[in-house]
Amino acid sequence: MDKIKIAVIGGGPGGYAAAFLAADLGMDITLIDKEKNPGGVCLYRGCIPSKALLHVAKLINETKEASGWGIDFGEPKINLDRLRAWKNEVVSKMTGGLGILSKQRKINYIQGTASFVNSSTLRIDMVSGENKVLKFDKIILATGSVISSIPSLNIDSRRLLNSTSALELPEIPKSLLVIGGGYIGLELGSVYNALGTKVSVVEMTPGLLPGADRDLVIYLAKRIESAFEKVMLNAKVVGMKESGNSISVKIQAQDGTTSEVNYDYVLMSIGRRPETKGLGLENTKVKVNQRGWVEVNKQLQTNDPDIYAIGDIAGEPMLAHKASHEGRTAIEHIAGHKVAFEPLAIPAVVFTDPEIAWAGLTEIQAKENNIKYVSAKFPWAASGRATTLGRSDGVTKLLINPETERILGVGICGPGAGELIAEGVLAIEMGANASDLKLTIHPHPTLSETVMESAEVFFGQSTHIYRPKK
Amino acid sequence: MTNEFKLPELGENITSADVISVLVKPGDNIEKDQTVIEIETDKATIEVPSTVEGVIKDVLVKAGEKINVGAVLLTVESSATQVDQTKTFTSNAEISKASIEDKNETGSDSSKGSKPPRGLKQSIPGDSTSVSTSELSIIDFKLPELGENIESADVLNVLVKIGDNITRDQGVIEIETDKATIEVPSTIEGKVVEINIKPGDKAKVGAIILKVESRTNVPGETIPSKPTVENKEINSTEMEEKPEQFKAVGGSSAGEKKPEPGEIDDQPPILKNSAPAAPSVRRIARELGVDIRKVTGSGPAGRISMDDVKAYVKKINEEREILPAGGFGFIHEPLPDFTRFGGVERKPMSKIRTITAEHLSYAWNSVPHVTQFDKADITEVEMFRKSYGLKVEKAGGKLTVTSILLKVISFGLNKFPQFNSSIDMEKKEIIYKNYFNIGVAVDTDHGLIVPVIKNVDKKNLTEISVELNTLAEKARTRKISIDEMQGGCFTITNLGGIGGTYFSPIVNAPEVAILGVSRGAFEPIYMEGIFKPRNMLPLSLSYDHRIIDGADAARFLRWVCESLQEPFKLFID
Repeated sequence: MDKIKIAVIGGGPGGYAAAFLAADLGMDITLIDKEKNPGGVCLYRGCIPSKALLHVAKLINETKEASGWGIDFGEPKINLDRLRAWKNEVVSKMTGGLGILSKQRKINYIQGTASFVNSSTLRIDMVSGENKVLKFDKIILATGSVISSIPSLNIDSRRLLNSTSALELPEIPKSLLVIGGGYIGLELGSVYNALGTKVSVVEMTPGLLPGADRDLVIYLAKRIESAFEKVMLNAKVVGMKESGNSISVKIQAQDGTTSEVNYDYVLMSIGRRPETKGLGLENTKVKVNQRGWVEVNKQLQTNDPDIYAIGDIAGEPMLAHKASHEGRTAIEHIAGHKVAFEPLAIPAVVFTDPEIAWAGLTEIQAKENNIKYVSAKFPWAASGRATTLGRSDGVTKLLINPETERILGVGICGPGAGELIAEGVLAIEMGANASDLKLTIHPHPTLSETVMESAEVFFGQSTHIYRPKK
Repeated sequence: MTNEFKLPELGENITSADVISVLVKPGDNIEKDQTVIEIETDKATIEVPSTVEGVIKDVLVKAGEKINVGAVLLTVESSATQVDQTKTFTSNAEISKASIEDKNETGSDSSKGSKPPRGLKQSIPGDSTSVSTSELSIIDFKLPELGENIESADVLNVLVKIGDNITRDQGVIEIETDKATIEVPSTIEGKVVEINIKPGDKAKVGAIILKVESRTNVPGETIPSKPTVENKEINSTEMEEKPEQFKAVGGSSAGEKKPEPGEIDDQPPILKNSAPAAPSVRRIARELGVDIRKVTGSGPAGRISMDDVKAYVKKINEEREILPAGGFGFIHEPLPDFTRFGGVERKPMSKIRTITAEHLSYAWNSVPHVTQFDKADITEVEMFRKSYGLKVEKAGGKLTVTSILLKVISFGLNKFPQFNSSIDMEKKEIIYKNYFNIGVAVDTDHGLIVPVIKNVDKKNLTEISVELNTLAEKARTRKISIDEMQGGCFTITNLGGIGGTYFSPIVNAPEVAILGVSRGAFEPIYMEGIFKPRNMLPLSLSYDHRIIDGADAARFLRWVCESLQEPFKLFID
């Protein structure tokens, strides 16, 4: 029998994970992406380069903290060209590695773009200028998302940055205004802040990181408020124009008063939207909903059963790890397995300092849905490891069903929260209860103990805090 | 009177704290020692208990703020002079507006926070428009509970359109559940401003079907009409551009199908009835075609292990084996290609037809059927029926053989309790019922429907006849509720109106017997030495042979016949 022929459009973490698994399962796989190597936004212009820079930011901040412990490094000398080059090395190392993995798996990698001629036929326009029309058994859409912007504020200026251009580190500005207090804005704002820029944030809602539980955000908000120049909540940008070597920004506060401030640079980071333009979906039965997402079932099949959609174009949350899992699920379904994408928890991590991470139920969701829960919190001030790091500004909390004691949600704020959350995700997926976490020996002295101790808090038996059960 | 609650002393050298969360809101009734806020000092997280009691008027702190010891946290109205704020104001929106105004105006001078609500309202300039519209509120009409275990329904028809004025109890949509087609009556009156469903949709219980602009205030369901629009206008650019970001960090709302506008479906996956089982166990269950939610977990808090899934599959297989031949393990023979023999037309089965087919297959396969036939002399009954028919008709019913049989059977179920039972094979138990509800099969244009007359033993013939008439009419016009079709102990099916002598009805499991009634006819009956013309009614009793023995069935049916011949027998024993 002929091998099943699959095309994956888009080589991001969803697309390449799908393509690699398909190849491992013996399918004939074509992967189409604009870039030279697989990687997508995540590796080229997102997760990876931003984490490289955030690592640098953390290092700079830690050298400053050390002065309080008798170690003085002095002011850092920053060679921006070298820093940029190092970040680019990280990116090319990762994407180059994916290119090799793709070749080793004998994947037909085409650098170009694809559009549907009909439900099973793609026209592929290659970067080389050639084009070809190919027929496939199954096609997976993994075209991801693009940066959103506010059209009325789109001025033509190199001083107006988006997440992509901000990662290029054009210079270290004296001042930077970040529009949008979500994770992208706060992460990139933190990088520039550490490099020496006076960073301000304007956020439309009453708090930073809308959607995250306030008792997690509070630690980050406190640190950002003292490190950044200004945090403007309930405020929005109503006008922008370039004036000389800066951008003059009109900001409207909650009470309706507007003020005009000049910033060297402005970073617009208000989110991302799914990208389905130019795919020729009108030649298929694929349905796109009002908000631009491709409608899929739990097997990631679109309305056109031979076409699948995964990752950012298939709905929220727009996160790389969700895309990869969806990609693998779609391929397993094509391979004939009875599978479904139905995770109990998709972790979210904000890589600021401190980091914020959560999985499963949030308190906001619990309240909206009238879910009975108990929040068991362990403040890091009581953690030995946190104290040795000089970082007691954190908390670990478990949301627990009071009747079954099942872990419904986990939220963590503090350095390394992004690593710690994985235990929470596993607990939720395994249907673990508070006793399971309490009775699992965690290594001392580590931050991971806070997960165990918050389970102890639920029973009113935490070793390191005294809070008897009511 | 109004009391202030201030941040108490927290300990040596502690002068301030960060508010982590505020656990109360204006309008809450608080007691002494109830925790009102959670704060964090340099040393610990502390829950601050109230020292005052009453209804909270104002909350002067919010999460994230730094507050000093002695700062006013709440103003509390003691219960004696409690003012119902929601009534003082014409709409909720004004309250929030007013309190914002108030905060801006008063700044740190928190004592002003205890101004009476009226005063606050006056501080809003130029608010006349919102006053004029505020009496109208938009009320969500949600799909009400439809009955036990029914979570959703298919929408067949939407009976109203935008702009319609609807009244209470007016049918607004027609839906089809697993059990019946139902017209859903509105509980709200007013003008329809939004319709969130269309025919063909699947509507969940609790989903918002309509938005109705109403003058009636329903507490807790009102949303202010005008301010919503205002907010939308203010934020329109951002709203269009920003939605992703908010949700993107919202983590776990993922993995679910995107809800259509109006469909409230943003529950995180962990709440979607998710079984406590590891991903590997869930995957195996899926591969085996097992609904993981049906598996009983043996672990702590019902956690489901791989062994539990295996045990479940084993149990199902064993049950299958003890079923009679042709049971559920039965493989369907493929259909021939009918078009080889002539033209055909394929039509989807209606929900009622599908359910009827599945239910009767189940009953046929699980119940070992025997049918007992007999004839009842109803000559006297017919005379009785004619002389009292008019009286019952005046009450709104029709005195029929079926209604008389309903009464007779209720006595019979009492006398022969095994006919009023169900079998629990799993537990090897027989369930005897202490109530006497009897279903009557009704032939309607859209399929077979069985309304149930409840507590037949407690009703007289007129009441039974009227109720039967009402329910049958409801069944025919698709207005019958699920409740009215549940809880039957026994079923009567009367084909006498059409003709025929005998037939063998299928027991409506988990009931254990069904009485089929055919058309009565005059026959020469040899009595008292001569042939007399007697009106003889053929009866067919199908029963579940697992619980009812042949002799019992013969006795039961004979007793029914004799009771019809000599109704006074009913009162003898």
